[in-house]
Amino acid sequence: MDGKRQGSLLLLLLMSNLLLCKNVASQPMCPSGSSCRVSLRDLFERAIILSHYIHSLSSELSQEFDAQYSQGPEFFTQAMSMCHTASLSTPAGKEQAHQIHQKDFVILVIHLLRSWTEPLSHLIIEANHLPKAPDTLIAKAMEIQEQNQRLLEGVKKISKLVDPEIIDNGDYSVWLGLPSLQSNDLESRLFAYHNEFRCLRRDTHKVDNYLKFLKCQIAYDGSC
Amino acid sequence: MGISASDERLVDVAYIVEPNPPKNVTLEIQQPEDGKPYLWIKWVPPTLADTASGWLLLQYEVRLKHEKAVEWEIYFAGQQTNFKVLSFYPGYKYLVHVRCKPDHGLWSKWSEEHSIEIPSDLNMNDETTWIFVAILSAVICLVMVWAVAFKGYRMMTCILPPVPGPKIKGFDTRLLETGKTEEFLTAFGCQGFPPTSDCEDLLVEFLEVNDSEDQQLMPSFSKKYPGQGVKFRHPDRDNDSGHGSCDSPSLLSEKCGGPWANPRTFHIPKVIEKLENLEANITCTWDPLNISTEGKIFNFHTNGSRSSTWPLPQPSQHKPRSPYHSTAEVCKLPMGPKAALATVLDKSVKDALKFSKSIEIGGEEKAVKKMEVESFPAKTEQDTAWLLPQEKTPFIPEKTLDYVEIHKVNKDGALSLTPKQKNSIDQTEKPQASEISKEYVKVVRVTDNNILVLVPDPRAQNKEAPRSLQQNQAEKDTSCFTATPSNCRLHLGGSDYLDPASLTHSFHGQFE
Repeated sequence: MDGKRQGSLLLLLLMSNLLLCKNVASQPMCPSGSSCRVSLRDLFERAIILSHYIHSLSSELSQEFDAQYSQGPEFFTQAMSMCHTASLSTPAGKEQAHQIHQKDFVILVIHLLRSWTEPLSHLIIEANHLPKAPDTLIAKAMEIQEQNQRLLEGVKKISKLVDPEIIDNGDYSVWLGLPSLQSNDLESRLFAYHNEFRCLRRDTHKVDNYLKFLKCQIAYDGSC
Repeated sequence: MGISASDERLVDVAYIVEPNPPKNVTLEIQQPEDGKPYLWIKWVPPTLADTASGWLLLQYEVRLKHEKAVEWEIYFAGQQTNFKVLSFYPGYKYLVHVRCKPDHGLWSKWSEEHSIEIPSDLNMNDETTWIFVAILSAVICLVMVWAVAFKGYRMMTCILPPVPGPKIKGFDTRLLETGKTEEFLTAFGCQGFPPTSDCEDLLVEFLEVNDSEDQQLMPSFSKKYPGQGVKFRHPDRDNDSGHGSCDSPSLLSEKCGGPWANPRTFHIPKVIEKLENLEANITCTWDPLNISTEGKIFNFHTNGSRSSTWPLPQPSQHKPRSPYHSTAEVCKLPMGPKAALATVLDKSVKDALKFSKSIEIGGEEKAVKKMEVESFPAKTEQDTAWLLPQEKTPFIPEKTLDYVEIHKVNKDGALSLTPKQKNSIDQTEKPQASEISKEYVKVVRVTDNNILVLVPDPRAQNKEAPRSLQQNQAEKDTSCFTATPSNCRLHLGGSDYLDPASLTHSFHGQFE
């Protein structure tokens, strides 16, 4: 008899949980109420502004470097190599993006942002040794670095709002391209710089795209 | 064998996305009640662009122009799918295009052309704007009017100084104050003021007063002196003047004073005011009331101060003719056809014009107010001045003349003359002066030659009066007043203190 009652109680408890609990995927990210939702939208708006800006700078940086240091048409075509963040699994299209949990998506953004903290600092230091006064390039790199830090902190806050119990392992992609930047061969160095700038441009574009997507999904309930 | 492949090209898909142009572009004219009408352009994103999920972010651009325009107006619309155009011209047909681009991609092609016809009767004006404009313009107008009025007044006072009142120079107002107008008028036999029309013609002709150039003996008392031959020159004499010291009836009434009752004074306030400015003393006073009738004897009354009846040299340049012209006439009126002094004066005023410049006895040129009683035994210079104005220098020293001082004019209009003691040059006058110091002369009549016939006052103690009267009757009897513009003189004819010969000569010379 007791076992039967315990089973029915568990069943009752389970049923109530099922009824009360909602789908995780569609669970509102702000349990506290409307105030949380408004602040989430503001955070996303701010983050998107930063990410958009960062990507614009990265695009300019890459194009200017190619224009200034190219030694021929398609000079940098052969310089293409894998980025250090390639191991990170990112959605290939909109359909895959819908299948990723929102908090995982946020973690992914944080991972990308954190992966570029160290490479940017090295790029700035090593760019001083480039032959032709790369002052504007260095300035832009420094701006990107600064804004990247701010965006990282902003997305962290968003993650806390999205899921207070989110677990940030602090993972990031390790960068091993420093020796290439310090190579004695100028062409190797140029190739290295070109590759770094190309990867930076692509990763900032991903961050910007994901954040804009997540804004509509999280702050506007899937339809902007 | 060569390579048939081209070199590699690196393409990043993310940067080569070119969306389709926006669709369903619609144009509307919206006219809200509380605002200006506007053109509302709406569209939808291209079919394949998933902007709802946020995966693709599109930014739009609109361009429009009216048919006749050359260049397009391009407006960035951001991420919104509608756009309001606020500035356009009614009556034109507008063409609109829309295009889009992903946030980091390439611009799409322009959409299809959509056109809209703006109605011509579209009211683009805003009422509040018009109200504001109206208020502002009203304020500006008020400010301008105030500025013009304020500054204009100052400008007007600078450009056109205020017209001063008329001044009578050479006329002693005190004479009028003490004058006996009634006596004066009765002496002339006038019925009273205002003078009637019958007196006018006669009066004009008979009285002759030496007057300064442009001075008139009397101001026009009333408007009804059409027949007065004098030419009123009112417009000329507005400023200044002091005319018609003698002529002014009001002048006389006021200045002559006590014995001169002037019940029906001609109000010539200006004349009265100016009397005080007279340089010369009033030699005669007129009773304005009585001047209207004929036969009045001009009673001359000297002022209390016994100032010289003869006008002092006055180099003033007034031409006080107009306002006092009537005065002369008024003076003439009471005398009527019988040697009314006023008539002579009036005529003299007319003649004064001719003689004014030439004859300036005593240096007076335009003291109309002054009336001189010129002694006939006056010097030849004086006579010459009278007779031949053109020959004589206009400026005659006063002392060279032999003048008779008008003592006073009694109620009967008798003139009491006394020769000026110090200015008397003619020795013959002296004995006469002593004799006639208290004598009155009565103007009996005015002869045809505009000679005033004066007779000694029978009441006077001077028994020589009849004698002199008779003597002078033949001649011309003094009471001829040649009104020269320079001075106003009263020529007494027929009195024993006047030189008949000189008088005759002078009279003849003047009037012939």
